[in-house]
Amino acid sequence: MNPTLDLLYRLADDQLILGHRNSEWNGLGPILEEDIAFSSMAQDKLGHSLQLYTLLHELGEAEPDTVAFTRNAPQFHCCQLTELPIGEYDFSLIRHFLFDHAELLRFEALADSSYEPLALVARKIKGELKYHVLHANTWVKRLGTATEEAIERMQAALEFTLPYALGIFETTDAEPEIISSGLFIGEKELQTRWEASVSKVLAQTALTLPDLRTLTPVAGGRHGQHTEHLQPLLDEMAEVFRLDPTADW
Amino acid sequence: MLSSFDPRINRLELPDAPSIPTDKVALDQFPTYEVFHQRKENAAYAYVGPVHAPEADVAFLFAKEQFSRRFPCTGMWVAPTSAIQVTPYGNDQESVYNLLPLLPVESATADATGQQAYDIFHLKKRGKAHAHVGQVSASSPEAALQAAKAAFGDQRPVVNVWVIRSADLLRSDDEDRDMWTTTPDKKYREAISYKVQDRIDRFKQEG
Repeated sequence: MNPTLDLLYRLADDQLILGHRNSEWNGLGPILEEDIAFSSMAQDKLGHSLQLYTLLHELGEAEPDTVAFTRNAPQFHCCQLTELPIGEYDFSLIRHFLFDHAELLRFEALADSSYEPLALVARKIKGELKYHVLHANTWVKRLGTATEEAIERMQAALEFTLPYALGIFETTDAEPEIISSGLFIGEKELQTRWEASVSKVLAQTALTLPDLRTLTPVAGGRHGQHTEHLQPLLDEMAEVFRLDPTADW
Repeated sequence: MLSSFDPRINRLELPDAPSIPTDKVALDQFPTYEVFHQRKENAAYAYVGPVHAPEADVAFLFAKEQFSRRFPCTGMWVAPTSAIQVTPYGNDQESVYNLLPLLPVESATADATGQQAYDIFHLKKRGKAHAHVGQVSASSPEAALQAAKAAFGDQRPVVNVWVIRSADLLRSDDEDRDMWTTTPDKKYREAISYKVQDRIDRFKQEG
């Protein structure tokens, strides 16, 4: 695939799928204010995906709604981390923490992309991501230094989620050209920055970051290999669209 | 198992019958924090409302969600409600500073070692919001009020004054200014984009 399309599909699908997943907390969050915060950030992510699908449309791909609602799981390029069910709030918070640290660093780097339309979008998105990371850090620091139960649950969620989080940085065949053309700094460099960034926050808590070199990344998502959870998500998300593609409200 | 049209509720696998109610835990409410926002660059911070939160950092997150999404906002401060000293209310068109008992001068200008910064907020009219007028240095909230009278007492009207120790205000970072600039096309967030009257009319005619 053309390197620009390859990169944009990965970015957009991550935002759409995690945005949809996090929106599932709407009305079910632990306390009202946090419910509003988490739902609002989910809506931001859907907004980011729309901006990225619009860039793809400008490059000749189908309309954003068509791209979002008519593909099946093997045609999605999101990492598997984004598609896992919301689980308990400890898992959803840790996923939010690990994913959004990577996203903030990713979009900060993309603000200097050689592809100017993407750089412009990235400059807008990174401000919102900065807040998403502030939100994640606040809760990780709070719960990661709270009661024994809170620390145990956050630690367990961290250990479960990390192999999936390493799957964020899975590369495709387009990677060398993405880097050489100045589109993006590349996943390897991003991962190095991400490790430094999450370690810095975790060091302020009672949580311990396992040695990442001992973990096997859960890869495949970038190549259309997904967990059994993605297709049901797509079916639910596209239910109205598939009933009536012209539905409007 | 409880069944719902909402698949998310079904996934929770809730029991059909509600569980036996347990006793309400004492003091299960979070304390409140008061929020001040800045509507545009260089404007005075103004009171916007309260949030419940377990601590200041979390209050800041909630404040951002509740009070910065619908209007432009370029900065935010939060303070625990318990940290705010409030004067009595004065009459409209007057200055409440004139109603305050004057402290002896020496207590208002105590030794420099115990001096701290205090932020002063004025309410110009009942029903409006308190707005930040400036900072004074003093040894106690009472002394800060005297210092505020000297610095800002010529303003009219002042219906009410809030005094907050500056250290009790959690302020948004200047470095994070871009946090407040959100993506421009957010029409989907506004109720105005849900135009349904046409459809309601059509539905009524069809009915």
